[in-house]
Amino acid sequence: MDELDLLKKDWNKDDNKYPKLTYNEIYKMILKKSSSIVKWIFIISLLEFVFWIFISLLLKDTESMKRFDQLDADAVFTPLVVIGYIILALFFYLFFRNYRRISTTDNSKVLMENILKTRKTVKQYVVFNLIYLVIAMFAGIYIELSMDQLIIGQIEQASANGEVFKFYAIFIIVAVLVLALMIGVMLLFYWVVYGLLLKRLNQNYKELKKLEF
Amino acid sequence: MNKELEHSFVELLEKHQNIVHKVCRLYTNNYDAHNDLFQEITIQLWKAYPKFRGDAKFSTWMYRVGLNTAITLYRKSKRTINTQDFDGVEFKIKAEDYDDTEEQQLKTLYKAVHQLNDIEKALVFLYLEDKDYRDISETLGISEVNARVKMNRIKTKLRTILNP
Repeated sequence: MDELDLLKKDWNKDDNKYPKLTYNEIYKMILKKSSSIVKWIFIISLLEFVFWIFISLLLKDTESMKRFDQLDADAVFTPLVVIGYIILALFFYLFFRNYRRISTTDNSKVLMENILKTRKTVKQYVVFNLIYLVIAMFAGIYIELSMDQLIIGQIEQASANGEVFKFYAIFIIVAVLVLALMIGVMLLFYWVVYGLLLKRLNQNYKELKKLEF
Repeated sequence: MNKELEHSFVELLEKHQNIVHKVCRLYTNNYDAHNDLFQEITIQLWKAYPKFRGDAKFSTWMYRVGLNTAITLYRKSKRTINTQDFDGVEFKIKAEDYDDTEEQQLKTLYKAVHQLNDIEKALVFLYLEDKDYRDISETLGISEVNARVKMNRIKTKLRTILNP
């Protein structure tokens, strides 16, 4: 008899060795809230959507955005804003569709894949936002440099002093630094939050995938 | 209607609760963690219950939801670390622990099973519950052949742990 058969004999021998919960104890349990990773993923994902909507609203209210409004740059910004909202709606739909597919009655591999797919949708949305931010930023810089009388005046002054290169360099360096800082903070956030949350799932998913070869 | 559903669910779970206890026994190693996982599996079973159809056996359905919760959804809570031992689990097994007497052998075996990874434990669990390779492959989402191969590897692994 091999080791597992010995264990099997013992495993099924005595069912009384386990705690015996009463009807009321079990009933109380079903009233409690889950603390599963799926619930956390759902909450954090929604917060991510809210965060990006909040960021876009916040940017709209800044002084420079108000100046943009006076610049008659609608031809550039209206399409950007419309595209932004359409894509937000699309990602939101995809996220909910994937989320609803998560079912504990699926087999383990499918369940893990569906959870990871839900995560992937939100991740793609974040990547989209970053790209969108870069495009909007460069569009903004372009408009500032070419249409804003205040900036044009500064450029003219800078070129009169022979410092036009320095002026552009500072402009670009500041833009890149702001972007780098944002991306850095987000990567840290992902690393900490999802690293902790999905560590076990990723490990087990890898283990299951390994069995396929 | 909801009350009826609650009642039928709690009654069924009360009757079959040992399945959940057994999953908890394999995946946790102390009393608090056991209760914590039991709680989460119960919630997941309850959430999935409205979709449960009588055509599958309640117990079979429980295996799937219970294992899925243990290996995928459950987050080990911090407060469960370093509390009292439930199954007498120690993670280092010395050769002298392996005694000829059956009881000693069993104790060592349980310890060895606790050292396996989550997926291996799932295979062992289903094997101990007398599930065939078709059931195992369907529950985990792997092929029957791979389930068999993996099971043999686990047996070898256990033998190595027991006879280093």
